[in-house]
Amino acid sequence: MARIQLENITKKFGKVTALDGISLDIKENEFFVLFGPAGAGKTTILNCIAGIQMPDEGVVKFDGEIMNLVDAAHRDTAMVFENYALYPQMTVYDNMASPLRSKLYKRDEAYIKQKIEEVSKMMKMDHLLQRLPSQLSNGQKQRVAMGRALVRSPRVFLMDEPLAHLDAKLRNAMRTELKEIQVNFGTTSIYVTHDFMEAMSLGDRIGIINKGKVVQIGTGDAIYYMPCNEFVAQLMGDPEINLIPGRLEKKDGGYTFTMQEGGRTYVLPKDKDLFAKFDQLGASAVDMGLRPQNLKYSFTPQEGYLKCTVYSYESIGNKSVIVAEMGGQQLRMIAPNGLHVKIDQDVYVDLMLDHSMFFDAGTKVYQSRYNEAEIKAVAKWED
Amino acid sequence: MKTNKSLLGSIVQNVLLVIYAVFALFPLIWMVILTFKPDAEIYTTTFVFHPTLNNYRVVLFETDYLRYLRDSLIVSAGAVAVSVLAGVPAAYALARYNFKKKEDIAFQILSFKFAPEILVVLPLFMIFQKLHIYDSYFGLIWVYQLISMPLLIWVVRGYFEDISVEIEHAAEVDGYSWYQIFFKMLLPLIKPGLVSAALLAFIFAWNSFTFPLILAGTNVQPITVAITKFLGTGSAHYGQLAVAATLSALPAIVFALCIQKHLVRGLSFGAVKG
Repeated sequence: MARIQLENITKKFGKVTALDGISLDIKENEFFVLFGPAGAGKTTILNCIAGIQMPDEGVVKFDGEIMNLVDAAHRDTAMVFENYALYPQMTVYDNMASPLRSKLYKRDEAYIKQKIEEVSKMMKMDHLLQRLPSQLSNGQKQRVAMGRALVRSPRVFLMDEPLAHLDAKLRNAMRTELKEIQVNFGTTSIYVTHDFMEAMSLGDRIGIINKGKVVQIGTGDAIYYMPCNEFVAQLMGDPEINLIPGRLEKKDGGYTFTMQEGGRTYVLPKDKDLFAKFDQLGASAVDMGLRPQNLKYSFTPQEGYLKCTVYSYESIGNKSVIVAEMGGQQLRMIAPNGLHVKIDQDVYVDLMLDHSMFFDAGTKVYQSRYNEAEIKAVAKWED
Repeated sequence: MKTNKSLLGSIVQNVLLVIYAVFALFPLIWMVILTFKPDAEIYTTTFVFHPTLNNYRVVLFETDYLRYLRDSLIVSAGAVAVSVLAGVPAAYALARYNFKKKEDIAFQILSFKFAPEILVVLPLFMIFQKLHIYDSYFGLIWVYQLISMPLLIWVVRGYFEDISVEIEHAAEVDGYSWYQIFFKMLLPLIKPGLVSAALLAFIFAWNSFTFPLILAGTNVQPITVAITKFLGTGSAHYGQLAVAATLSALPAIVFALCIQKHLVRGLSFGAVKG
């Protein structure tokens, strides 16, 4: 249970800058998710916290105490490695017991046995305890790696994509389980993932990492509804957000939005705060961001709908995604399963403008959106 | 039809294996047979002769054979011990750390095995004279490093490289110090490589002939050199020679049998994501 602070951490590997001035403040008992594309530096951040790698610059603090010079063994962290890093010569039981048998975190064998039984039952692997890692599937190995961390009560759990190799059903179950474990143990946890669902459902807060920099920190809702730029908007959400380039114009005290593709002009519904923001920024070239669930479609012509053609229709489980195309502009939207949709047939699309957000077309930075104040309240926005 | 074919195949296979086994083992069997032959029957008989233990008696009790054997043991075991103590850390460093000219150093170590021993033995002889380590245990153990060290370093380095570095990290996070990690986590994983390399190094050191021939004299006489003494100028006691050779092969065989159970491959499989 510790507050973890990183201040201006920089780490270079040769000429490659893996971390570039990372600053994070992870609160006590918080479940903090590091989310970002592959190669963003998420694992390196974990390694710096665990003490496996030394930052070139910057300070790592646990509860305000500077830990830079404390070696990994004495930091009292538990880490789940992405490639499991099990001890191949030891059985699953011994693997899980290993942290509790080290000099620093020594417990008696009775405690170890009870703890391992508890954890292995929870992870549904109590039948595997006498096997060697080479006799396990990847998903089972991953559970052992998790178990080895969970038997301890460290100051912080560091988890590097611990669910990546589990099958979908187990992954969902473990996700729920993990959240519960964390709530019960109340241990600060830092969790690396590139799965947006995991990030949203697990994280008290999410830190978006890209190219060794922190892009945005906030609750899942805050990042989902108010992404700080187009990169984050595209990263969060599946199917991906629609970005529609266009032009804003002031007209009759309100604003109109003219799509770049097709030249269709929409009169934007009135939102005092949003228009005030537009007045203030004065930008005219914007990208409108609309989540796929905020697009309506019809297969018969409707008043005010855009005429597009179907580019693709694919099922993603309990729903489907229609991608419509109009000129060079693709629009993704959610549809129910089981529709008879033919490629290249006409589809009519309506934009629910009162859910849209706006980005600067040049800098790709978030400007404003509809109902911003309301969303800030719901998403526990921190400035 | 198919079963006939596979039957024929296995017959041919086994016949070939038997031929090879006879071919490979016959010299050894012949050597053992020679040890039981009296000198007079060495040339005149093949399998039917009057067996005698006289050769053994002469070699073991009337010569310094046991002393030579002891010298060989000291020098070979000493050489392997030094190689293990110095070579394992060197192999670890070459596998794990990045430093300037790393590959050059590794190649340099390997290159010690390139030149034939006879090529370097003369300059070595002069150096040994100057350093006053000629004809000493220390000198031979030192020069045997040329034989055993490169082998050990290269084999063990490969084993270290096969171990994912995350295993060390995981053990660190688990609260182990570096030495504990080395002995508890790494050593069991490199053991097969270490054992086989040490065994080979021991055999090579044991069989070494050129170095002890030139760099040792009367104080230290490894068995390989000493055996030649049984070929006298006037008479060649082939029976005794065979006894000396047979007995000298025993320690390596015993050593190999003792550590056989450690020669398991693939212990490090399954540690990390496949």
